[in-house]
Amino acid sequence: MKTPPVTGINTVAKRITRRADSVLERKNIRDSLVSVAGLIGRPIRDETGRDIGKLVDIVVRHGETTYPPVSGLIVKVGNSTSFIDGASISKLTHDEIRLSSIKVNLEQYKRRPGESLLDADVLDHQIVDVNGLRVVRSSDLYLAPLDREIRVVGVDISFRSFVRRIFPGSISRRPTPEHVVDWAAVASLADGTGVVRSSESRAALSQLRPADLADLIEDLAGREQGALIELLDPDLAADALEEMQDDELQGLLRGLSSERAAELITRMEPDESAEVLRDLDVDHRESIFAEMDSKIASQLRKLVSFDETLAGGIMTTHILITRETDTVGDALKLLVENRERDISDGVVVVDAKGKLLDHIQIIELVAAKSSAELATLIGPPFPTAINGNTRLKEVVEEFANNRGSSIIVVDEKNKPIGRILADDLVDALTTDEENHGFAQGSGAF
Amino acid sequence: MSEVKATTKKAPISPKKIRIAALLAVMGPGVIAGLSDDDPAGITTYSVLGAKYGYQMLWVLVASTIALIVFQDLGARIGVVTRQGMIGLVRQKYGARAGTLSASALIIANIGTMTAEFAGIAAAGQLFGWSRYLSVPLAALLVSFLVLRGSFARVEKVFFIVSGVFLAYIIAGFLAHPDWGQALKGVVTPTMPFTHDAIYIATATLGTTLAPWGLAFIQSYAVDKRLTRDDLKLLRVDVWTGSLLTGIIGFFVIVTCAATLNKQGITINDASDAAAALKPLAGTLAKDLFAFGLIGAALLAASILPLSTAYSVSDLTGRPAALDDSPSEAPLFYATFGAITALSAALILIPGAPLITILVASQIINAVLLLPLLIYMYGIAQDNRLMGEFVATKNMKIVYATIISIVAFAIGCMLWFTVIK
Repeated sequence: MKTPPVTGINTVAKRITRRADSVLERKNIRDSLVSVAGLIGRPIRDETGRDIGKLVDIVVRHGETTYPPVSGLIVKVGNSTSFIDGASISKLTHDEIRLSSIKVNLEQYKRRPGESLLDADVLDHQIVDVNGLRVVRSSDLYLAPLDREIRVVGVDISFRSFVRRIFPGSISRRPTPEHVVDWAAVASLADGTGVVRSSESRAALSQLRPADLADLIEDLAGREQGALIELLDPDLAADALEEMQDDELQGLLRGLSSERAAELITRMEPDESAEVLRDLDVDHRESIFAEMDSKIASQLRKLVSFDETLAGGIMTTHILITRETDTVGDALKLLVENRERDISDGVVVVDAKGKLLDHIQIIELVAAKSSAELATLIGPPFPTAINGNTRLKEVVEEFANNRGSSIIVVDEKNKPIGRILADDLVDALTTDEENHGFAQGSGAF
Repeated sequence: MSEVKATTKKAPISPKKIRIAALLAVMGPGVIAGLSDDDPAGITTYSVLGAKYGYQMLWVLVASTIALIVFQDLGARIGVVTRQGMIGLVRQKYGARAGTLSASALIIANIGTMTAEFAGIAAAGQLFGWSRYLSVPLAALLVSFLVLRGSFARVEKVFFIVSGVFLAYIIAGFLAHPDWGQALKGVVTPTMPFTHDAIYIATATLGTTLAPWGLAFIQSYAVDKRLTRDDLKLLRVDVWTGSLLTGIIGFFVIVTCAATLNKQGITINDASDAAAALKPLAGTLAKDLFAFGLIGAALLAASILPLSTAYSVSDLTGRPAALDDSPSEAPLFYATFGAITALSAALILIPGAPLITILVASQIINAVLLLPLLIYMYGIAQDNRLMGEFVATKNMKIVYATIISIVAFAIGCMLWFTVIK
């Protein structure tokens, strides 16, 4: 399991800066906020003030800018609902909407990619409050004129504003801007056809620690869960997935396309990937393997085939293998190339037949001459090596006996196939403990 | 086949055992939610139905059980697919007012029902000679401790053991030597007198079997238990088992009272009356079993009710909460749980509190709340965006609509009689 980079003071400072340049800080915008919840059901009028219909929903377009502009209105005229293009809005207050063009084009509304309906998709739906690190329901949304368009600028996540909406009359429509969070600081996950991709919220999410992200993912409903995953950078998503509870992760993978699941699983630590794949049903597992790079797939297949109570089932396949005839320089180069992997604390040396000879610590390599052959460094202490079919209990004993930080796992021919680090063992033992419960596998409480 | 072999070789567990383990892992929500519908309020209603109308209205219970199966099944499915609780979904789909109104009605009705559970414990305790000032606070502490302090895997086991007390009703039923022929006739022939009392007890039977809090609970619990679509088949077995058991136990309660109290023309007001009246007719064992079952049922329901309310409140505010959250993570969830339990226990202990009014009012709110809740569920069930591939089929929609119409008719009749009277 990876240690997530700690969110330092730096990030916190960045967050505060973002808040300061939020458009909500501008007085003219604060004063012109219109509550979406209050506006729904209000009259739509033409220039002369004649009623045309009632507002059913507001359509916004995502993608181009941080604050999505209103692209149209869904209006109830008589007994039918129609769509009015956003360009014909001349005035929008918390009581009514006035249209400018004399002849309003009424058309049937069809959901288009990149658009969402504020009432049907966003209001009262789950959103991620990136600053507060939690999943909340949006109590209200606020519109304001910005850059010559009416845009969604803020979202209200307070319970007080939710309560306000219950009251009849104009109280329910009056904005409560003291509780508004900048639209950029939340990740809205609803969209008729796909996912809302606001670069701001993506950037904010990318600063979260994987463990925090995992908590957020677990709190979301199925549909929103998939949407959040789509929103994340795949590497970060994979890190977050590693932090999730097994049963949650399985549920999540069932909701994703095989393609996306394969992408994420490939980026996870092999032992973690194998653990979750092992619990999926065969068909699903195979459909994910089919989407993977064949080399990675065959490696994972091997891992999956080991039982979780055996050494092979908890090991990671991330080992750096070198020949005894390679030089120290080659080994160091290999280590540098794999520095992303935080387990690269040394290299495994094998003979011409691929059989295990030694594990050489990085410190020994640094101290040696770069042109020296690795064979010259081979010597005691030799690493502890065990077979992939060794039982978990014996693995623990081995660890206790040699006091090292890792054990090499080899196959029947003494070829190294993986490594067990102390933290893999901790993981395996904790899950083992939890599984003694009656509600095994359901994650019940 | 080779696949199974491979599994067997690696792990020393037979496939059959795995299946049972998987079932047990999923088992719980349905059985617990179903059986807790046989709470003191439920047993009281069934007792009165049996004591007053004999075997004649057994079919009402059959109809209620079918409605329970259908809607518990739907609730579980909605929970698994949307991974959201009922009230949260109502807020999301029907807006702030609908969500708040449902949640408020649920809270009030649940406090009333919770009071009824403690009243049941107090009354049944008195049959054994225990003071209510001892039994009620003890029960309140016990359920709070179980639900809040125990690990939930353990709590579920306790729930299962507690639900074993329902066997008491089945044994009591046999001890009463009922007329099975008459019982069968009552099950299959839907007849009833068209009077206020009969309509009222029929609606109450429907309302107590298909309780709003039970529907809200099954959905939240499936979410909290993090059940996934793959668990649906097993969950369905669980829900059907729970609902059927509810009906079967209700059947034995009605039959017991029909065979004894109705035959002798004894009228009763609540379930502990029924237990007391059983003694001379069916023996001390029948009485004790009846009272014992009542306490167990009350404890089970008293654990579920505040939990269901706490889920609903967290849901409404949009702060998802689960039992494995700590109180500091989910203060609202735990505050709701504590407040509901404390308030209901206090209501029972205040001398001169208008208990009957509270109980009757909560029954009526429950019945009235049931209708919009079922309609919301019906709406959610056919919402493609929420349910995806699990959206209700045409046939299921007809079934849901039919049940909702019957519930609406029963509630309408009850209200009509109540207003006329």
